[in-house]
Amino acid sequence: MNLLEPSKLALKSLFSNKLRSFLTTLGVIIGVSSVITLVSMGEGAKSYILNQVSGWGVGANSLTIHPGKSDSTMPELTLTYGDTIALRNKVDSIVYLVPEFIGKGQLKYGKKEYKPSFTMGVSSDYPLAINQKVAEGRFFSRADEAGRKRMAVIGKTVSRKLFGEASPVGERIKINRTGFFVTGVLEEKGAMMTFDMDDMVLIPATLAPLVLGTSKIWEIFLTLESEKDVPLAMKQVENTLLARHKKKDFHIHTQEGIIDIYNNILNALTGIVSAIAAISLLVGGIGIMNIMLVSVTERTREIGIRKAIGAKRNDIFLQFVIESVMITMSGALIGVVIGTGAAWGIMTYLKLQAVIAYGAAALACFGALLVGVFFGVYPAMRAARLDPVEALRFET
Amino acid sequence: MSGNNVVRIQDVKKIYRMGKMEVAALNGVSVDISRGEFVSIMGPSGCGKSTLMHILGCLDRPTEGKIFLDEVDVGGLDDNQLADIRNKKVGFVFQTFNLLPKLNAIENIELPLIYAGISLEERRRRALELLELVGLKDRANHRPSELSGGQSQRIAIARALINNPSIILADEPTGNLDSKSGAEIIHLFKELNEKGITLIMVTHDQDIGRNSKRIVRLKDGLIIEDEKVK
Ligand SMILES: Nc1ncnc2c1ncn2[C@@H]1O[C@H](COP(=O)(O)OP(=O)(O)OP(=O)(O)O)[C@@H](O)[C@H]1O
Ligand SMILES: [Mg+2]
Repeated sequence: MNLLEPSKLALKSLFSNKLRSFLTTLGVIIGVSSVITLVSMGEGAKSYILNQVSGWGVGANSLTIHPGKSDSTMPELTLTYGDTIALRNKVDSIVYLVPEFIGKGQLKYGKKEYKPSFTMGVSSDYPLAINQKVAEGRFFSRADEAGRKRMAVIGKTVSRKLFGEASPVGERIKINRTGFFVTGVLEEKGAMMTFDMDDMVLIPATLAPLVLGTSKIWEIFLTLESEKDVPLAMKQVENTLLARHKKKDFHIHTQEGIIDIYNNILNALTGIVSAIAAISLLVGGIGIMNIMLVSVTERTREIGIRKAIGAKRNDIFLQFVIESVMITMSGALIGVVIGTGAAWGIMTYLKLQAVIAYGAAALACFGALLVGVFFGVYPAMRAARLDPVEALRFET
Repeated sequence: MSGNNVVRIQDVKKIYRMGKMEVAALNGVSVDISRGEFVSIMGPSGCGKSTLMHILGCLDRPTEGKIFLDEVDVGGLDDNQLADIRNKKVGFVFQTFNLLPKLNAIENIELPLIYAGISLEERRRRALELLELVGLKDRANHRPSELSGGQSQRIAIARALINNPSIILADEPTGNLDSKSGAEIIHLFKELNEKGITLIMVTHDQDIGRNSKRIVRLKDGLIIEDEKVK
């Protein structure tokens, strides 16, 4: 006997008991759809973060140096402008080097005052290093930086706040009471996470101590000639800074490392979600087994009749296993559809790109298949093993 | 030994063990039934009639003794082979009809053919033929709950016939029917027998028994009388 006939039988009996079949399936539907929703959203978040990180314009050939032993401690700021000069001399493969001095800047233009989210002292490499275009005017040059020229390059948000739609290039503004010329406007970047990256003022790093009152660096960003230079450059950075600081009060990230961190977090979440899925499938499976056992008892006489007219053990076994698999598989398929729809809806509402979790969907269906088989086998075996004479005598 | 025996059983015993108690439902029964016979099995309640039918139909195995169906020793067959024999060589007719309530008449009739692996068109064709034979062509799509007792039993007989079995085993086929429907069923059996079909029927009713060609009387698991009907 092939699988077609027992499948038809299974379908028939599932349809003749629609409400019960639906309720039995419900556990699987809820489990699978919630997991698919969460995984799809997680995948969406992942691709969003990857996009954002690579949107920074930085590739695998870059390094960032942070103060402090590791990310987990609130660091004492130990990196200085002197360190950046030493690095430029000692690390062979450096193409661009950008220190970031982050401070508070109170801007004043005429009577208008504004306090942007970010006021940073950076090197002239900044636009090249992170692929930031200048929409209007120009960025300060290495010579401007060395000459401590009071030049400010501002983001679109800042420009709008102080100058409205008028061009700010060439205007004089005050940053913390020090006079600056606005020489350029950064091309719009949009928001990263929740930060408005256009709400920013950049000045030469050499002026940071004077204007921002800070001589300590949050981050040094290095672009190397190629990805292959990363290991050697890391060593050289380490040696150079150790020689200057006498202790390891800094740490180095690679681009890959940063993406890895996000991935690790998201993978852990996906893992938890998958565990929930497994549990929900398991619980659903136990429910299915329970119902299948009841159904075998109820249909004892039917089984007896089928055996009396020539059904083999295998025929009865298949009929019941297929029934159980159909319950879990239809639950999984409905769950995938609902889950994908829900994820799509939520992500659209959040204005994020939804990623259909094909992998998770396939896994859920496969899991449902296994659960259907696993929890269907025992009831089906009970059915198949029934003694025909006793089964025929059974009164319902 | 003639090769014409559809059924030949030798010294068949069936003993049920219930704890320490032993109940001998059959106590050494031997009988030969040849092709074309119409046999009634009679006897008081509990004498082992149904047990004998189950063993003849390979639904159950004897505790001791030999059974030959179409001169094949069924004793050595495994469960699957027995199922095959029930499917192809035996047609059961029960007192309570035993139709599947969720299937309509024609689906019930063709059920054995599903387990014989026969295609849908062929199943339908044969089932329709038999439906016509039992005179219920207009009831093809009725469910058992929409049929009278007599009609249900005729559907059950059609189901028993569909695989052209060597023998029809009917355990009190008229037990749940009024006398008129019962008489119709017996009439149908006689017609079938005239076409050469071998029938074994259990009955309590002397009058019904007289419609067959031979009566075998059982008591306490033993044959006490085996006579031709005059
Ligand atoms: N599964 C069983 N376990 C124990 N004893 C059984 C079992 N099946 C039948 N018996 C016993 O075997 C004997 C014969 O039973 P059987 O059903 O063959 O009788 P019967 O002649 O068909 O009776 P009736 O005319 O009432 O149908 C009875 O005494 C019965 O109690
Ligand atoms: Mg009986």
